[in-house]
Amino acid sequence: MPFDPSSLRHLFPILSQPAHGHPLTYLDNAATTQKPLLVLDSIQDYYQTCNANVHRGAHFLSDRATNRFEQARENIARFINAPGQSHIIWTKGTTEAINMVALGLEHLLKKDDEILITSLEHHANLVPWQQLAFRTGARLRVLPLTSSGEWETEFSHYFTDRTRIFSATQISNAIGTSTPLQTMLDHAKQQSAFTLVDGAQAVAHYPIDVQALDCDFYVFSGHKMYGPTGIGVLYGKNHALEVLIPYQTGGEMVRHVSYQATEFNILPYRLEAGTPHIEGALGLAVACDFLLSQDRPALFAWEQHLANHVYQRLSKAGGMEIYSPEKHTTLVSLSVPNIHALDLNAYLDSKGIAVRAGSHCAHPLMAQLGVSGTLRASFACYNTLEEADRFCDVLIEAIDLLSDE
Amino acid sequence: MTKTALEQAQPFTIKAQLQACSSKEETFKTLVTLSKSLPRLSEEEKIEDNKIKGCESAVWLIIEESNGLRHFRADSDAKLMRGVLVAIVSLVEEKTRIDIQQMDLKAELQELNLSSYLTSSRTNGILAILSQLQQP
Repeated sequence: MPFDPSSLRHLFPILSQPAHGHPLTYLDNAATTQKPLLVLDSIQDYYQTCNANVHRGAHFLSDRATNRFEQARENIARFINAPGQSHIIWTKGTTEAINMVALGLEHLLKKDDEILITSLEHHANLVPWQQLAFRTGARLRVLPLTSSGEWETEFSHYFTDRTRIFSATQISNAIGTSTPLQTMLDHAKQQSAFTLVDGAQAVAHYPIDVQALDCDFYVFSGHKMYGPTGIGVLYGKNHALEVLIPYQTGGEMVRHVSYQATEFNILPYRLEAGTPHIEGALGLAVACDFLLSQDRPALFAWEQHLANHVYQRLSKAGGMEIYSPEKHTTLVSLSVPNIHALDLNAYLDSKGIAVRAGSHCAHPLMAQLGVSGTLRASFACYNTLEEADRFCDVLIEAIDLLSDE
Repeated sequence: MTKTALEQAQPFTIKAQLQACSSKEETFKTLVTLSKSLPRLSEEEKIEDNKIKGCESAVWLIIEESNGLRHFRADSDAKLMRGVLVAIVSLVEEKTRIDIQQMDLKAELQELNLSSYLTSSRTNGILAILSQLQQP
């Protein structure tokens, strides 16, 4: 029996409101997902029952807040199968996590070292490395997708004895294509490169096991996996986190300070300067629990079914270019010749359908595809087949309205 | 010299058409219709110098002046934006630089039911266009 999204849709009351006089159809989940009541309640509960600063103990509320905050860290560790809580660094999100690593590794890079990324990267996993390369004289190299949207069968030559860092996404945010990550990571490790995996588009959809991946760093955001905005995670292997120079210093991350010197705290605190986003961390831990309480393979199968349904319908309708793979993805990214994606987006919005139009923070990939932007519908576990069909119907209407007769 | 369709378009009819829209969908359809009255720029005119920065769709704007009155020609690669440009240009066409500078263009666009295009400045950069129109 296929998964029934009504079994959990009631947990997302935001979805039951109208938009521009139509039922809200939220298909912009790759940008941000909606949050289940459990997550919203946890934020409210934090402020109602234990609001205090963490790690500064010595009173009832602070002890309670600190306990919950550190418990949340353990929940995250369990969620991605990290070996322990000291491997989990709280960040603002994926972007900050990648910047922390790029800045933290700067002292190990020298001229002519190579940093390797793929052509599917979001700007967040491109610009920090490019700027790092500018500063150090290292070279940014790109492992490209072929023009047919496939990976070359043999790409090991991109990994050289100069590759110091390999950083890749699991799934493209712009077109939904996956990277052959395990093979890439194996090549990178053979060259003793640091490895970072951008899991922002993956964590909401399927279980992550950072020990099986065996990457040095794994990063993701809360807001794309039913958690709060402004919280994310940097996971790192112990030796990898230890070599990072803290890019921010201040309170919380120190053990002892004098005017002459500062002794830094141990991991994970060493990389967490200042008061953290406490309710965000608690909410993210609840989002993890929400996902763990679900039949995750069934959810993932459903999301792929919706994307595939749209792919099939739109392929049949014709007149558009679809950039997403037919299968094994949870989004559909497309363009229509001679019609601007923003125009399609505006019509869909006028009918209450939320999608994303534009470059999806991936200008080089758009340039490779030869488009200024695409229209992207991305699915989450609460989306229904009716919503997928509405998107197709209204998109076809929009193309009709916007075509020059 | 014959007048272009844009010059003939009366601002009050554009205003009336937009104000008659009672839903976002109707506004969309009206803008699509209006977009058809915008004379397109030539490829030679769509140069970087004429491009307005800050718009996700490409927008080009050429400002000319004769007898102290300003004339505007504009284009975009997005149809809805061309409709919005028709509305915006109708507000400022054949006015003096000083008159245009004294206008509250944001308020005028709000009156035209186009306020939702003002808030999403990141998407369409309307505010960038308005500030360009009012530059000395």
